[in-house]
Amino acid sequence: MVAVPAHRRGLAALATRETHRVLKLWLQTIAAPVLASFLFIVVFGLSLGERIDSVDAIPYDAYIVPGLIAMAMVQAAYSNNASSVFQARFEHYINDVLAAPMRAWEVNLGLTIGGVVRALAIGAALMVASLLVTPVGIAQPLVLLAAVALLCVLFGSLGVVVGIYAESFDHHMAVNSIAILPLAFLGGVFYSVESLPSPWEELSHLNPIFYLVQAMRFGFLGSADVPVALSLGVTAALAVLVVAWSARLFATGRRLKA
Amino acid sequence: MPPALDIRGLSKVYGDARGLGRRPSSTEGFSALEGLDLHVEAGAFFGLLGPNGAGKTTLISAVCNLIRITAGEVRVFGEPHDSLAARRLIGLSEQDVNLDRFLDVRETLLYHGGYYGMDRDRARRRAREMMEVFDLSGKAGVRAPKLSGGMRRRLLLARALMHEPRLVILDEPTAAVDFELRLELWRYIRRLHGEGTTILLTTHYLEEAEELCDEIALIRSGRLVARDSAEGLRSAYGATTLSEAYVRAMGGQEDVSFLA
Repeated sequence: MVAVPAHRRGLAALATRETHRVLKLWLQTIAAPVLASFLFIVVFGLSLGERIDSVDAIPYDAYIVPGLIAMAMVQAAYSNNASSVFQARFEHYINDVLAAPMRAWEVNLGLTIGGVVRALAIGAALMVASLLVTPVGIAQPLVLLAAVALLCVLFGSLGVVVGIYAESFDHHMAVNSIAILPLAFLGGVFYSVESLPSPWEELSHLNPIFYLVQAMRFGFLGSADVPVALSLGVTAALAVLVVAWSARLFATGRRLKA
Repeated sequence: MPPALDIRGLSKVYGDARGLGRRPSSTEGFSALEGLDLHVEAGAFFGLLGPNGAGKTTLISAVCNLIRITAGEVRVFGEPHDSLAARRLIGLSEQDVNLDRFLDVRETLLYHGGYYGMDRDRARRRAREMMEVFDLSGKAGVRAPKLSGGMRRRLLLARALMHEPRLVILDEPTAAVDFELRLELWRYIRRLHGEGTTILLTTHYLEEAEELCDEIALIRSGRLVARDSAEGLRSAYGATTLSEAYVRAMGGQEDVSFLA
């Protein structure tokens, strides 16, 4: 076993604590979202899919898999970190971490890891299940890897930021149900935006989750509604913005410390 | 040896913590500390007394890097309070029972040790020792919300001492605990002090401060109004009891002769 250097033990402990929380509550944090997304794949893909024409020459049950996996991972990374950080603030046990000899970026990274682990566990389980029951494959593994990494960073950090700003559980739940979920549904998970009439097609291009879904779709299927460089570029730019926001909150202590 | 705590001109005004769409809280714009100076020698057992809202918890939070100070300087054993070196030297047991609800007793101690850079073997040994000292071994696998109030209070103290800090800050450690546990905690805190640890204690129990502390500071409206031994405070305020000296220092006229 590799020993953690003394100056990184705080980060390792915090990352382990966040992962521990995800695994301790695995029924709620991993099993439930995997089951919900898998039911989408079964109902929409396998059952209704036979009555729907292929999209861009791709069978419908395979077409919806990348978007559904992206949607489940986005919600997992976001909601895990938002609720973990909010709860730690609300019950003040975050003070044990804030008082400890850890650098601001270590606390930020440690708190982000839980959502990343949860999103990856859900993504991996859904991918295996999808490979077994649908004709989906992995056409561009490197693109898929990049899209997954950006998804985890972007929505893991967004969860941390919202967890820091939220003043009640309603706040972080509202961001999920009023912003993230509708944007994910309208981001081309179930359809190609090219099939939408104007101006809906153009408006879809303003949806940040649309680019993430497209990057994931290109990784799995090798085709998407927009060039992969654009979808990865937009997602990376958003990830940089949210990470910078989160880093600033930790560096200044704003909203974390009175 | 540098002092355990050297605080100069410490001020804290709440009111610079607005968030998106957030209504100002009742404390915003409130000056909790006003140019406070405090010097605590290494090895001291120092008490901090004052009414609710006097600034005791704000002072502790400033030392422990839990609030952003408005002005002033805080040094812990000569190190700036926000440095990693200073933070390693402080152990804090807060007034609120702020235990991680997802962790059991053993995990609470082990993760805390990790946050403070302890290696796994040392953390395990120390956690075992702390659980024995605070009679928590039988509850090692029980999560914090399932513990009794007294056990949670013991776990808070065990957590504060887990990384063997040189300065232990106890913010009302015996609030809402029964008499037996209070005596037990006093015994342990005394032993700790006897081993050379500097203790900063806040309490509302004047007899506790008198029983334990070598020196006591009285704080009111964010300012230090007096500091001396219990005997010195009684003498300075022409009082026969510490309660009487306290009431006079706080500007009250209440008849406290019944406390004598």
